[in-house]
Amino acid sequence: MNLPGRSKGFMGSIMVVDLSAQTIETQPVSLKVYRTFLSGMGLAAHVLYHRIPEDADPLGPDNMLGFVSGLLTGTGSLFTGRWMVTGKSPLTGGWGEANCGGHFSPAIKRCGVDGIFFTGMSPKPVYLYVDDTTAQLRDAGSTWGMDTVETETFLSARYPGARVACIGPAGERLSLMAGVSTDQGRMAARSGLGAVMGAKRLKAVVLAGNKRIHVHNKEAMKHISRICNKWVQFQPPFLPGFLTAPVGTLLRIMPWAFTQDGLLYKILLRKWGTVSMNQISVEMGDSPVQNWKGSNRNWGFFKSLSAHPDLFTRKETRKYHCYSCPLGCGGICRTSGRHPRTHKPEYETVLSFGGFVLNRDVDTIFDVNEALNRAGMDTISAGHVVAFAMECFEKKIITLQDTAGMALEWGNPEAISWLVDQMISRQGIGHILADGVAKAAGRMGKKAQRFAFHAGGQELAMHDGRNDPGFALHYSVEPAPGRHTNGAWLYYEMYRLWKKVTDAPKMPLVYAKARKYETGPDKAAMGSANSRFLNVLNGAGVCQFGAFMGIDRIRIFDWLNAATGWHMTPDDYMAAGTRIQTLKQAFNLKHGIAPRDFALKGRPAGHPPMTHGANKGRSIDIDTLMADYWEAFGWDKKTGRPTDHQIAEITDVS
Amino acid sequence: MAFFITSDCTGCTACKSICPTCAISGEKKQQHTVSDTACIDCGACGRICPAGAVTNPFGRIVSKIPKKQWVRPFFNLDLCMACSICVDACPANALDIALQKVRDLHPYPFLVLESQCMGCGFCAEACPVDAVTLEKRAG
Repeated sequence: MNLPGRSKGFMGSIMVVDLSAQTIETQPVSLKVYRTFLSGMGLAAHVLYHRIPEDADPLGPDNMLGFVSGLLTGTGSLFTGRWMVTGKSPLTGGWGEANCGGHFSPAIKRCGVDGIFFTGMSPKPVYLYVDDTTAQLRDAGSTWGMDTVETETFLSARYPGARVACIGPAGERLSLMAGVSTDQGRMAARSGLGAVMGAKRLKAVVLAGNKRIHVHNKEAMKHISRICNKWVQFQPPFLPGFLTAPVGTLLRIMPWAFTQDGLLYKILLRKWGTVSMNQISVEMGDSPVQNWKGSNRNWGFFKSLSAHPDLFTRKETRKYHCYSCPLGCGGICRTSGRHPRTHKPEYETVLSFGGFVLNRDVDTIFDVNEALNRAGMDTISAGHVVAFAMECFEKKIITLQDTAGMALEWGNPEAISWLVDQMISRQGIGHILADGVAKAAGRMGKKAQRFAFHAGGQELAMHDGRNDPGFALHYSVEPAPGRHTNGAWLYYEMYRLWKKVTDAPKMPLVYAKARKYETGPDKAAMGSANSRFLNVLNGAGVCQFGAFMGIDRIRIFDWLNAATGWHMTPDDYMAAGTRIQTLKQAFNLKHGIAPRDFALKGRPAGHPPMTHGANKGRSIDIDTLMADYWEAFGWDKKTGRPTDHQIAEITDVS
Repeated sequence: MAFFITSDCTGCTACKSICPTCAISGEKKQQHTVSDTACIDCGACGRICPAGAVTNPFGRIVSKIPKKQWVRPFFNLDLCMACSICVDACPANALDIALQKVRDLHPYPFLVLESQCMGCGFCAEACPVDAVTLEKRAG
C-alpha cells in the first residue's frame, strides 16, 4: 500500500537519548538531509558533526554514540542488513565507525527511526528498551558484568522477539579495543566504540518495534532483488580447501594480473565464508605475517595448512545468514574449548591469531574467537596486540617478570590464550595492553614504539598494503583509518563501477602486475571512487560482499531509486558519497586531527622493504598516494583539508 | 492513515488483545481507538471484530473472518534464499528459522505456532522471490 505522506525507504526521524538527563526524544530529519547524505553513515556524519563539540572527550559525556540503519534496509532489497555504530573514536580521537551484519539493522527501523543517538553519561548502568509504544531507559544492574552472550540470552528471554546489541566486560572496563556485539557474537568491532558505550554506562540496546518500512515501488524492488538472487545462486563446484593455497601461489608468481571478478569470490564465500581466503592470502602476500616482519616464507604453504578452509567448515553445524542475505557466509561451529560453540571465525580473526603470531593451533583460534566475542573485544586489534607483545618479548622489552613467568614466544598457543584473558580482565600486563598497540607502546617507552603498527592509533587489518597499495592508501587516508573495509585496488576491480559511473576508470581484463605499484591520476580516481562508493554502501546499509559482485549485477543505485522514488543517477549518488567523505574529513579537522598523521609508517608501508617473500623489495609511496587522493576530492594536496566552500556547502544543510 | 474503530464497537477487547503493536486502547464495554502512529495496517483487528466496527485505511468496513479461514504462510524451500526477510516482517513473532533440508546447512523459515499467526500476509508480501504463499489453514 503506497499511501501519501509516508517516507519511502527511510523512516524520517532519529531518536536522541540523553543519558545524563534520562530523556528520550524523537526528532524529525528533513528530506534534504536524506537527499544530501542518504541515511546510515551519512546521516550519522551529519548528526555527529554538528552535535559533538570539538573538545569532547571520547569517553566523556559530550561524545555521542549513534546506532544507524541503512536506507535500503527492510525495503525488500538484498544484502542490506548492515548497521553501523558511530562516534568520536577513543582510539584515534577522530571519526569512529564500526559496521556489522546480523539482524539488528531492520530492528532500528522497525522502531520508527533511522538512527538512535546517545549523549551524556548515565549515573548507573542502563539499557534502552524500545517497542511500538514505549522507549525507556531501564536498570542494567543485573546484566553489568555479564559477557555478551549471557547478556543477550538474558534480555532475549525477557523480551522474546527483541533484537539486542550490547557490550561485554571489555566495554565495561573501557578497553579501547572494545566493540558492540549482536546475534551472540557478531561484532561492530572497530574504532573502540564499545568503550564509548561502556563509559556512558549503556549496557545494551533492546529493540522490539514492528513499524513497517514503506517503499516507493515494491514491484521494482522485488524485480531487482530477483536478478541479484540469480547471480548469488550461481554456485559451481569448487576446489577442496587444501588446494586453495596453490591459487594464491599462482597469483603471486604470475607477472601479470587479471582484473578480479567478485563472482569468483562469491563462490568461495558461499562455500566456506571468509576463511576461504586464509591460505590464498598468505601465499599471494596479502596477509601480513609475524607482526609485519614475516612473509609467506615464515608461514608458508605447509605451515598455513593449519588454517585451510575445510578445517573450519568441518566444525560448522549450520550456516548463518544476516538479514536479507541470500549468500550466508557465516556459520556456527562446535568447539572443543571452554565454550561448546562459536561463530565461525572470520578470515581476519584466523590470520590475526594464525600467521600474524605464527600460531598453528586451530583450536586456540576457535577458543580465542569465542573468548573475544563474549568479552566484546575486536579480534583484529587483539591479534595485533598479541603480536606486538611477542615481538617485545623477543626483544626483551617485556620479560618473564612482566608476564608472571609466561613465555610470550611466537606461536605459543598457551601464551596467546593467556594474554587474551589478561587483556579482557585487564590484569597484570593485560592492563597495559588492553587499549591497543599505540597506547601500550606509549606506556612502554620508545623501544616498544618501533614494533607498534597502526594508523592514527587504530591497528591495521590482515591485508598488506605492500601487496595491494590500495589498502595502504585507504588505511592512511580515511577519516576512520586502519580499516580493511575502506578500500583497495582489488575492491575497485570487483565493484565494476565503470559500468555505471562516468568518472570511474575502466580496468583492462589483464594488466602487468607492476602497474599496481605505480602512482598517478588513475590511482587517485580509483581511491576516490572506492571511498565515495563505500559511503553510498554505508548510507544504504549494503554488505560489501554483495557489492563485490559488481554494480551491474547487484544494482544498488536502482534499488535506491525504487525505494525512495528519487530519480538520481549513479553519478548523483557518488556525489552524495563525496559529500559524506568531506563531512567526515571536516569532522576530523574540527577535532584537531591532522590527516597526514594517519599515514602508515614503518614495515606496513615497506620501510624498510622486505628482503624475502611475496612482497620482497616493495615500498609504498604513501605521501604521493595520499596527496593525489586528496587532490581528486579537490582538497588541499598537502594537508588534506577541504576548501572552506566545500565545508560550508555540506555543513549548512539542515 | 491507519485502521479505525467506529461507534459500532462493543468494547469486547478482542482487537486490543490481538493487536501486535499495542496500538489499540480502550476500556471494556467502551469504544476502542487505534493509534495512528502505532498501527501497522496488519488488519487483525478487523478480521477478529465480531461487531464489524473496524474500517481499513480506505474507509471500508472489514468483515469478520472465522479464524479457521484465516490464511497462514507456506514456504517453498526450493525458491527460498534463507534470507529471513519474512521472519523479520512478521509482527507476531510467529516465524523462525531452522535446519530443514538433508545435507543443507542453511536454515530455512517455518511457522512456529499457527495460533500465533494473525494472517496479515506481511511475510509473503516481503519475500522478494515469492517463496512464501498464503493459504487457508487446515481444520
